[in-house]
Parts: sequence; C-alpha cells; structure tokens
Amino acid sequence: MSTPPAVKAVNLTKTFPGVVALNNIDFDVMYGEVHAVVGQNGAGKSTLVKVLNGIHPPDRGEIYVDGRQVRIRSPADAKRHGITLVHQEIMVYPNLTVAENIFVSRMSRGRTPGFVVSRRELDDYASKYLKMVGLDVDPSTKLRDLGVGEQQLVQIARALAEDAKVICLDEPTSALTPGEVERLFSVIRDLKSRWRAVVYITHYIDEVFRIADRVTVLRDGVKVATKRVSETSASEVVSLMLGRSLSEFYAYKPAAETAGHPLLVVKNLSTQPTRPSEVPLRNISFELMRGEVLGVLGLLGSGKTELAKSLIGMQRVVSGEVWVEGRRVEIRSPLDAARLGIFYLPENRRLEGIVPLMSVKDNILLPSIDLVARFVRKRVLEEAIAGDWVRRLNIKTPSLYTKVSNLSGGNQQKVVIAKALARRSRILIFDEPTMGIDIGAKVEIRRIIARLSEEGHSIILATSDVDEALTLSDKILVLYKGEVKGYLRRGEVSRDKVVKLMSGYGG
Amino acid sequence: MGLKGTSLSALVRKFLSLEESKPLVALVVLYLASAVISPYFLTVYNQKILLLQASPLVMLALGESMIIMMGSIDLSPGSTMALAGLIAALASNVYGFPVILSALIGVGVGALIGLVNGLAVTKAKIPSFVATLASMVAARGLVLLVTGGTSIYGLAGYEWLTDETAGLANMVWLFIAFTALTYFTLKKTTLGLKVYAIGGNEEAVRYSGLNADNVKIAVFTIAGSLYAIAGLMMNARLQAAYPWTGYGSELDAIAASVLGGIQLTGGVGSPVGSFIGAYILTLISNILILLGVNPYLQWVVKGFILGVAALTLTRGLRYVK
Repeated sequence: MSTPPAVKAVNLTKTFPGVVALNNIDFDVMYGEVHAVVGQNGAGKSTLVKVLNGIHPPDRGEIYVDGRQVRIRSPADAKRHGITLVHQEIMVYPNLTVAENIFVSRMSRGRTPGFVVSRRELDDYASKYLKMVGLDVDPSTKLRDLGVGEQQLVQIARALAEDAKVICLDEPTSALTPGEVERLFSVIRDLKSRWRAVVYITHYIDEVFRIADRVTVLRDGVKVATKRVSETSASEVVSLMLGRSLSEFYAYKPAAETAGHPLLVVKNLSTQPTRPSEVPLRNISFELMRGEVLGVLGLLGSGKTELAKSLIGMQRVVSGEVWVEGRRVEIRSPLDAARLGIFYLPENRRLEGIVPLMSVKDNILLPSIDLVARFVRKRVLEEAIAGDWVRRLNIKTPSLYTKVSNLSGGNQQKVVIAKALARRSRILIFDEPTMGIDIGAKVEIRRIIARLSEEGHSIILATSDVDEALTLSDKILVLYKGEVKGYLRRGEVSRDKVVKLMSGYGG
Repeated sequence: MGLKGTSLSALVRKFLSLEESKPLVALVVLYLASAVISPYFLTVYNQKILLLQASPLVMLALGESMIIMMGSIDLSPGSTMALAGLIAALASNVYGFPVILSALIGVGVGALIGLVNGLAVTKAKIPSFVATLASMVAARGLVLLVTGGTSIYGLAGYEWLTDETAGLANMVWLFIAFTALTYFTLKKTTLGLKVYAIGGNEEAVRYSGLNADNVKIAVFTIAGSLYAIAGLMMNARLQAAYPWTGYGSELDAIAASVLGGIQLTGGVGSPVGSFIGAYILTLISNILILLGVNPYLQWVVKGFILGVAALTLTRGLRYVK
C-alpha cells in the first residue's frame, strides 16, 4: 500500500469536435502489474493511452507519476516520465534497421550512442535488448522485413532501451498468429517480473483473463468499472462492455429464397500480391445467388480483402475464372466492375471510400455522376437523388452540403453504401463494414445489409467478426492465409468450429 | 434596427465563408493602400496598364490552379507560353499563315505539351513535379534552339488582343471570360466534380469506378491550352516573340494560386481565388515600380507577402510538409 501507483490519472477529459472521447476517467496502474483496458471500438481505450503518452493533451484532469503531479503535453514529455506506447501503426520506421528503430529517439536527443553513430556499436547494444524480448534477429535487418509480431517485440525492446517504467500496448495481438501471441504474453510476464507497469488495450476478452491483473471497462468514453480479474468473469466483462445483451447487438437475416442460376460464379481464382502486405489467394471458388449474402470470414492476413479487391480488378489475378449471369468476364478495374454492377465498399473508408472534404451529396453521386449528368451538372436532380438515399439509409447529416469528414464513422459508412446503391449496383462487396463505428451504428449497418439482401441485392460480406458472419450470411467462406478452409451453409456448422477454421485448425 | 444588425452580420459571415473572401479582402486592402501611397496608382492609364500586365499571368494561374486542385503541380506554364507564342509568331510572320490559324496552331502546341504532361503523369507514372520539370526545360530548350536566342521583332497581326472594346483591351475581356469559364467548369460540371474528388482522395475516385487517368490527361491538356493563350497575349503586348518570355512565370502561377487560397494538397479552392492571386502579384509589381523601388527588392517583397499568405492558409494545421 505504501508505494504510489506508477501512473495515476484523475478526472481525465478529452473531447474531439462533436465527441466526448474521455469523460472524467480515473485510471491507475501499479509497478509489476498488467492493467487491461477493454471496450468496443470508439469506447475511448486508444484515446486514454494517447492522452497518457502526450499524443492528445487532455482538456481537463491530472496525471501523477510515482505520486507526483506531472504535465504531459507531448510524447517527449511522456518519455521523460518513463511512459511509452507500443503501437502497430505509428511509431515505427520501416525503412530503418532494427537497431536504429530501438535507438532512434535516444539518438535524436543526442545521448548515448552519441551524435556520430557507429553501426557496429549500435548493433551490439541493440542485441542486448533484443535478447530481453527473446527476439533472435540480426539488428541490421530493415524493420519492414520482419513480421508484424516481431516488429512489435522490437518496439518493446525499444521501450526497455529507453528505460520505460510504464509500457502501454495498444491492441498488440490484432495482427498476430496464435504462436506470436504466446511469445508476446511470455514477454509481458517477463516485463512484470522486471517490475514494469503494463497498460494493455484489447477487445479480446479471453486475453484479459490470460494476462491481466486488473481490468477497466470503458464504454462511450465513460469508465464503467475497474475489477480485479480474479474477481470477475468473462460474461460480466462482456455485458459491461456492451451495455446490453449480445442478441441486441447483431441483426439476424432470414435465409434468402434463391432459385435459378447464380449471379456470380468464381472458379479457382488465384492471385499474386503486388505489395508485401498482401496475401496470395489460391484456388478460391464460390457461387453467389441473387439476394444471397456470402460471408467471407477470416482474420487479418486471411486474404478476405484481397478476394474482395480481386473482384474489382485491384489485384493481379494469375488464374481462374469469373462469371456474371452466365457470361465469362474479365474485370480489370473498378470501372469494369461498376459496369457489371459490382461495387466494393472498402474497409478503410477514409483512405478508399470517401472524399472527406467533399459534401455528402457529391460523395454519394461521385460513382454515378456520368449517369446523372452528361457534362453540365443537374443540381435539382442531384439533390433529389442524394436526398432520397440520405432518407432511405437514415444518414444523419445537417444538410446535403455538409462535408463528409464532419459525419460520424457510421454515417460515413452509410454514405459509402449510398454511393454503391446510387450506381445501381447488384453485387455489393462489403469489407469489414462495421469496424471502427459505434455500437448503435453497427446494428443499423447490419440491418441495412439484411434489408438490401431481402430487396434482391447480392452481397459479399468480408469480415473478421464471427457473429456478424453467422447472423447475416446464407453461406460462409472461411479463409486462412489465402486458402479456403471451409465453404459452408449457415446452420451446417457450430460457432466453435468456424472459429477453429479461421485460426487455421481443421478444415 | 436589431433585425438589420443580424442580417448584416449574417451577410458578413456568408461573405467570410466564401472560398475567395480572404484573397478578396487582401486585394481590396492592397488597392486602398496603393491608392494612398501613390497618386499615380488610381489613374485610368495606370489601371489599364495593370490589367494588361495581369492578363498573361491570370491565364497561367487559371491553368495552374486546376492542376493544383487535383493535387498535382505544373512547372511548365512559363516555357509552354513561350513556345506556343513563338510557334504562332513563326507561323504568321515567317510562314505567312493567317493569324487566326497561327493562333490556333499556337494553342495546339500548348495543348500538346499539356497532353504529354498528362500522359507522363498517368501512363508513365512520373510524379507531376518531375514530369513537368522535364517539359519546362525541354520546351525552353526548343524555344532557344529555334530562335538561336534572339527575338522575332515587328510581330504584326495580334493587335486584336490589345484593341479596346467598351474601354478595355480585348485580352482583358478574354481573361475575364476564361476565368468565368474555368469557374463554371470546376463548379458546375461533372469534370469539375472529378477534379475536386481526385485532389481530395484519388484512391476513393478510383474505387468508385471512375477513370481518374482520363480526367488528369484532360485537365493537363486544358491547362496547356490556357498557357498558350497567355503566349499569344505576350505576342500582342510586346509585338515580338522573345525567347525568355515567361521565364520563372511558373513560380508566379503557383504563387498566384497560393495567394488565391488554393491549398497545394489539392481538393479545395476556387479559380476565382487564383485570378485574384494573379492580380495581387501584378499589383505589387506595379506599385513598387510606381514608387521607384529597386526592382530586385520587388522579389524580396513578393516572397515576404507569399510567406504571410501561406501562414494564414495553414493556421490550425498540426504540421505540414
């Protein structure tokens, strides 16, 4: 009881335009402890560690390190107080070597190793920390040549090299294989024994019970509870997280009544990656009927995005056939796909789906503009079309002329759906349609998908959410590392079996 | 009274929300300041000179702004205008083609350079900065090669552009018309929507099933034609085809776009803004000449004003590159 927490935050509040990301949060973590933070997307977990690490300065609230109040306004401040963040997407330099990544922040401060860097000295020094995290790689390898799991361990090695006392891990396992997860957990246990404080953010409940000592549940920016892991259960944590029962959380689609010939047939499709992050597809075959939902289920790296993109000409197809309405087709670009009525709704909306600074109306009309107007635009007609979709999909926007960047994630997703429908697409390919949006919008998007299929649209639903696939699909294609592990009708298989197939077991 | 007050403040807010409001305010302030500083500034004679001086730069700025709105950049305006003007001059004065035909040939040359730029960026996937740098250097080289570095004097037949209609030179009416046309194209046509969308998020445009390459090729070609018209204006104004015409003008065109509130990242802005930007740059030169300031100092002043303008544009951003 005598030692104060490594870090303690009191009444932390952080708002972004239109959202209270953190609302009066109290949080602390002790030395030698793993404190898990769980919550749905948008609950505020990432914002919490970003505030602790000075990436987002808080609007209100105090932060104490070792019982003394500190000001953390930048990542450099956080580092000075021994707090560091391990994050998959930011903070690494893929074009630098492993050793350089470990020492980059110290170099910039002009401390050891000094301003002039001897490569050999650097590598020797780096190996010491690599050993601590059990990573056996050459320190002079470029970081981008390592796997995601290994990159993460390099970041932990960097935290140790910086002598960090508090290490925050943000969704560290989301891209890892089961073997890599085990390795990460043993490193975390080792960090505990080295008396480091670990903040562990995840949305996988089972991980909480395997690695954490305490768990804090956030929902919509508010702290719901902090519990000792030994004194709670998985089902309690889940219901705290969701704030309602699972059945309310998913939309259930009745089975499609299908007859006649399939709308889309894919035979033995294989692809070759054009970027190192992509997975090659091998011999994928399936059929899609009118009004049917095909769930394409797989984890990150399973090839589900690659499959979706291969159907709009954005992957290099090396063999296989695609048939639409009984005719063999060659799809070389999204334009070819659009002409066949195929439209892809990307996983990464901001990057591939919307033009953020353009209005809701212009975004909705972008794919179909040449069908609506020849050259001179037709304002009245455009407003009628866009207004119609805004109403039918219940897009919450102040006006048709609001910039899409000002809408919430769920409403942005609906704008993307409106784009596809305004283009009169028959086959909609959804890629993780509910990722990164709040719970209410998730349910709404799932209901829209169910409704579209009932109205006769054919849908390919690429997702990593087992329950989303099970509740919405007529058929499920399970992918693992670019290969089909199962092609099942709904009801043919148990949830457990599907989860096993996704992880590469069985099949 | 209260009602009138609110409607006035609503009007002011509406004005400030316009894309062109900041450049317009800057222009008015500079106009007033210049009128106070120099008694010669606000004379009819000087204002007519100002308009003539602004004409070619406005044409360059219009073309450049369309390209910047797509998130690309064009370094070829100055050289394109020189080559197009020269070819037109050769056609009419050396080979004896009718002036109208010669002018069309000149515009064709500009369009061709633009087309090559567009193909280089889309098909050969050369970044626009490099592709247009290459055509800027090559086109200037062609000009010097053909002229041997000397000017073609006594150029006749292009006076129509400097002749006056309703008190203003025809080239002034021409650039006003082209500003309106560019505005219309960007704001009221499907091509304009695609230009803004490409600048805002090209990836999303491609995933939407649109042919972004064709749009880029078309816009580079249109821009090249606009630069060529600037070249014809120079032929008329100087009554000569001078090999160093437009040398460094690409930077003025970019500067005019920045002063006009167009962000170099693309996707936002108005061609009317770049029109005002071009006018501001010309005005600064004009007033400094009237005041008898050392011409080299003009560059320093222009650079300073550009820096200040850029500062107001990037306020609120976390960081820029």
